Amino acid sequence: MNGEERVRLFLENAAKAAAGTHLLPGPEALRDVLAGIVPPGVPVYCPGLTAAEEAVADLFPNRVADYADAAATVEEVFGAVAETGTLACASVDGRAVQAGLLPAHHVAIVRRDRIFAELDDLFAEVVSAPPTNLTLVTGPSRTADIELTLAIGVHGPERLDIIVV
Amino acid sequence: MKVLLFGTCLVDTFFPEVGEATLRLLRRFGADPVFPQGQTCCGQPAFNAGYEDTARTAAAHFLSVFDGDAPIVTPSGSCAAMVRHHYPELFHDDPRMLAKARRAGERTYELSRFLVHVARAHEAGLRGRGTITYHASCHLTRSLGVREEPLTLLASLKGAAFVPMADAGRCCGFGGTFMAKLPEISCALAEEKAASVEATGADTVTGCDSGCLMNLADALRRRGSKVRVAHLAQLLAEGL
Amino acid sequence: MNLGQTTLRFRQNSVRALEDVALRAAMKQAADTFGAKRAEAFAPVSDLEALRDRASGIRDEVLADLPRHVETFVASATRAGATVHRAKDAAAAREIVAKVLSDRGAKRIVKGKSMVSEEVDLNAHLEAAGMEVFETDLGEYIIQMAGESPSHIIVPAIHKNRRQIGRLFTERLGVPYTEDPQALTRIARGALREKFLSADAGISGANFAAADTGSLVLFTNEGNGRMVTTVPPLHVAILSVEKIIPSLSDLPAFLRLLPRSATGQAITAYVSVITGPRKPGDATGAKELHIVLLDNGRTEILAGESRDILKCIRCGACMNVCPVYRTVGGHAYGWTYPGPMGLILTTLLTGMAKSHPVVDASTLCGACAEVCPVRVPLVPLILQLRRRKVREGFPDPKERRVMAWFGRAAASPGWFSLGQRLAGIFWPLVRAVGGKDVAGRLPPPARIPFRRKAH
Ligand code: SF4
Repeated sequence: MNGEERVRLFLENAAKAAAGTHLLPGPEALRDVLAGIVPPGVPVYCPGLTAAEEAVADLFPNRVADYADAAATVEEVFGAVAETGTLACASVDGRAVQAGLLPAHHVAIVRRDRIFAELDDLFAEVVSAPPTNLTLVTGPSRTADIELTLAIGVHGPERLDIIVV
Repeated sequence: MKVLLFGTCLVDTFFPEVGEATLRLLRRFGADPVFPQGQTCCGQPAFNAGYEDTARTAAAHFLSVFDGDAPIVTPSGSCAAMVRHHYPELFHDDPRMLAKARRAGERTYELSRFLVHVARAHEAGLRGRGTITYHASCHLTRSLGVREEPLTLLASLKGAAFVPMADAGRCCGFGGTFMAKLPEISCALAEEKAASVEATGADTVTGCDSGCLMNLADALRRRGSKVRVAHLAQLLAEGL
Repeated sequence: MNLGQTTLRFRQNSVRALEDVALRAAMKQAADTFGAKRAEAFAPVSDLEALRDRASGIRDEVLADLPRHVETFVASATRAGATVHRAKDAAAAREIVAKVLSDRGAKRIVKGKSMVSEEVDLNAHLEAAGMEVFETDLGEYIIQMAGESPSHIIVPAIHKNRRQIGRLFTERLGVPYTEDPQALTRIARGALREKFLSADAGISGANFAAADTGSLVLFTNEGNGRMVTTVPPLHVAILSVEKIIPSLSDLPAFLRLLPRSATGQAITAYVSVITGPRKPGDATGAKELHIVLLDNGRTEILAGESRDILKCIRCGACMNVCPVYRTVGGHAYGWTYPGPMGLILTTLLTGMAKSHPVVDASTLCGACAEVCPVRVPLVPLILQLRRRKVREGFPDPKERRVMAWFGRAAASPGWFSLGQRLAGIFWPLVRAVGGKDVAGRLPPPARIPFRRKAH
């Protein structure tokens, strides 16, 4: 599977799991896309740990330091898996993985060279020294506990947007 | 070709018409069926209830009655499965009996399998009538792997229409001793099965195991249903 | 909530369940929905049999030398900074968890769904020790609020309809009545959010534990499992020893099989892989992680003829296809684990004396073994238990007499024919004595048995 196919399959599977998907032609488009996804003025947690996060942080006038107070988290994640349309969020470089859990809206930026074809490829990379927390995220939080009716957004985000750069 | 007919205790005691139909079919397709008079029961009720010694006694008796090289044919998926799969287990630590059990297992045919693969009865252009639905009994399908043969035979019946029932492979609730030990659940399952049968609109339901058909017939009767319950052997023999 | 084992009353329990029309409809709907979704989810998996072989092989490998894998896990988890406790039995597990919590002054506990915690009846013990335990899985939350126990291992509140849940929320939470699942879910989210943020400790189970890395793996959908394991300062995980897999790199096989088998999802919304507590420089993870490894009879099972049941990964697929389970539901089994897997585990873990009627709760139809993703030989295991039940003398004397007679008849055509003749003569009596549920369902014996016509 080449890089193009990986990206395509990843986005296709993520969309099947009810994630919003966005494929960017280049890094310049990131700001425009984010402006369209995140409503202006909402409290946003954007940790600024990577170059991509730094580059967009000033888009959010109401940027909060504590993810527990945020309505949305905008962050770059560790990687992704094409096989299942899954995001891999890891507690590397001081990242708070639960920042993608508490706010109702999670916006994940994925670098296309970090999309693994299969689950095995991801685990092969982490198995020698796994981070304290590796969380695979596929679509928004969900339940079917009441009459088997799907409800979105139980304890985790009710909205998940994925931007591939 | 000489074949040994294992009637099964249920057919012998309750449903001689199924045995007679089986005999007619075998004869029509060039076999020379012999009914060894010493036969009793395959031992399945004891085996399934955990009475291993009793089951072994029954199995040893079966093996002596059905000794030889001729194919053993039986109109029951679950009894065929008992011989093929469980006899070797019962004699796993007795090399002489184990060899006998394995040989008997290889020689044992459930009727529909024999009719399709050996007798090629589905090519004979048998006649049928009405609308028929089919219950795929558990041991026949899951244990013996006989899934297509009964359908092939039904499809070959000229003048009859086949309608599949929903969840044809779901257990009817007979389960041998299960029926006696947990009758309420057994009844509930049979009722559900009977409802599936009626929902097809068929006028006849058939299958390859008299135990299941007996259970189903009872549930249909309780519903006041007019659907006829007949073993596949009966339907085929009627078309001769 | 564990309301005391009632497995000995399986038949009475099942009769009660059969009379509960709403429960039966809900169970059937759940089983059918999951069954259909399962089939759908596996349809695109082309190499399913190879995948099952692989997963089954990994589970066999673990059981072949469980003590060594447990040692490796303990060493790895300890190296990662976790404190590992070994609990011999349920009482030890309860004590360990209670002590870890009380030593740290923990009073408010949030809990993720864990069958092992049900097995050891953890909540009642912690509550008796003065702690508040909040179930956070939506289904468990509803059940806890209603003071009931789960009826399905995946959808614990399946027996409650939306109106009942709406009324329950109005009564207990004082919110305006709604029966919209999405709105009810939002209410639960609000009520539990505050609990997560203020909890002193989180308790979770684990679906797997990787020996080579010492990692715990949790499959969840709602996000409560993630909350419980990352938000409070203290995380206590309780799992049984056989949940171990040799390597984290074995996980993909189970990631592909378990969610598909359980709910028909290609993967659960969340999979958490937790390796030790928060370390310097980390911004994620509990500050302290305690792992309680429960044996509770597993070592004994491992040494015996039923060890293959320990391959089970608790997907629930065998239940959804089981004709008995889908008809009577989980409560009837009378203990933590229902369905084909459950009746085996219940008998092995609680003993034949407390559970022998449930080994009959199978028609031996084999639907369970057909779907088991790790090829647990469920039917042979049930048959083994029935043999043990007979060996240990549990069947009632009437059954033994019938079987003794049957044995004699099966070995002798003379006795057999006599039996047939007697059955014919005494048929009205048999019907009367056997009762309408059993003998009333049999047709009368044929006037002339087949053997006398077969020439
Ligand atoms: S026995 Fe198999 S099918 Fe049943 S719960 Fe365990 S793994 Fe799943």
